Amino acid sequence: MSILIDILLAILGVYLAMQSLLASRLSQSVFLFFAFGLALALAWVRLGAVDVAITEAAIAAGFLGVLFLDALRDFSPRDTEEQQNLTTVQNSLSRKESKSLLLPRLALVLGLGLFLLIALEAVWKIPEGGGLTAAAETLLPESGVEHPVTAVLLNFRAYDTWLEIGVILLGLLAVFAVGGIQIYRKPIAAADDPLMRQVILFFTPVLFLFGAFLLYIGKSGPGGAFQAGVLWGAIGILLHFGGIPVYSWVPRWLGHLLLTLGLVFFLLLGFLFMAAGDNLFEYPPAYAGLLILIVETLAAISIAAALTAIFANLNQMKKEQPNDTAQK
Amino acid sequence: MMIKEVIAIILLVVGCFFFLAGTIGVLRFPDLFSRLHALTKADNLGLGFIAAGMAVYIASPLAALKIFFIWLFTLLASSTSCYLIARFQKEQEQSKNRKEQG
Repeated sequence: MSILIDILLAILGVYLAMQSLLASRLSQSVFLFFAFGLALALAWVRLGAVDVAITEAAIAAGFLGVLFLDALRDFSPRDTEEQQNLTTVQNSLSRKESKSLLLPRLALVLGLGLFLLIALEAVWKIPEGGGLTAAAETLLPESGVEHPVTAVLLNFRAYDTWLEIGVILLGLLAVFAVGGIQIYRKPIAAADDPLMRQVILFFTPVLFLFGAFLLYIGKSGPGGAFQAGVLWGAIGILLHFGGIPVYSWVPRWLGHLLLTLGLVFFLLLGFLFMAAGDNLFEYPPAYAGLLILIVETLAAISIAAALTAIFANLNQMKKEQPNDTAQK
Repeated sequence: MMIKEVIAIILLVVGCFFFLAGTIGVLRFPDLFSRLHALTKADNLGLGFIAAGMAVYIASPLAALKIFFIWLFTLLASSTSCYLIARFQKEQEQSKNRKEQG
């Protein structure tokens, strides 16, 4: 029975991914991508990786979904004139595409195929070595936490996690690079909808509490900094939707401090213990639990701030363009 | 088979029936408003029955409370998003009518 569900999930995942890539309309692609994210999250649950499942559902289906919907609104042409321009542009583009993009496509397909083969080989070989589960389990008492995934992420392989926090910050830098660092001069006209405002105000403490719960439970079960950070970031995004642009209310220096807090503290702690004679990101077992909790909390704050900032800046970029064309 | 499991299975089947009805409604109904109606109303009920079925099956007060909250939050979120989509559609139709008249 369970193998049936697994096979169905596997087929569903591949099918949704292909449909999402091949869909003729942009909106179809976006909604199929949501479904793909959820199917992937279910697949992770079936594989027993609940941590990954929560992150997948929160980031791929949730946060990316918000960004895609936001982009979709921007790409949907409002006037017929605009639409005609777009279609002519698209036609000229597609004509060019058919010739010049053949070589890059071939390279992409070959590269991805090779990558897939290597991944398949790696998956094939796991049972031989037995994986690193046993090694992680034996060192668990030294890590300061009870959940093996958290122990690996925040202690044994802390370097990877540190880089991952940096990747989110890099994403924000890319947004800055495209749109420039902009500060809201005046808040957006507050959403005039009383219902939406009430719901957002209701969900804010709930999301905060649930994020804090995930952060703390990460010590002994699935959860941790990334999941909590996404939930806290969702608060910021929701408040933006409700006409409360938190990102612009926070002073610039404080915003930048919040953005880099997790990364900097993580690194400083690593260097501190390196100066004391340990390896980078190696914690003394006596304090490891407390230190990991502090690092995770600060990392969650930074991730939440970065996600909110990415959304706020992308949203801002689009809001300004109609005004620009109106002025011209 | 215990009576608890029988009750749970009945609740789950009823929940699945409502999900099926909602999905058929989304596929068959002609316009956005009736589709929204089919989707959110039927799915809320379906999720409610499935949540109740799972709560009966697990039979632990704490788990039942958690499941109840999951249902409650989904209810809130889905009805709000239903309202927002409907409002967006209504505004668009109004602005389209205004353009056609003017």
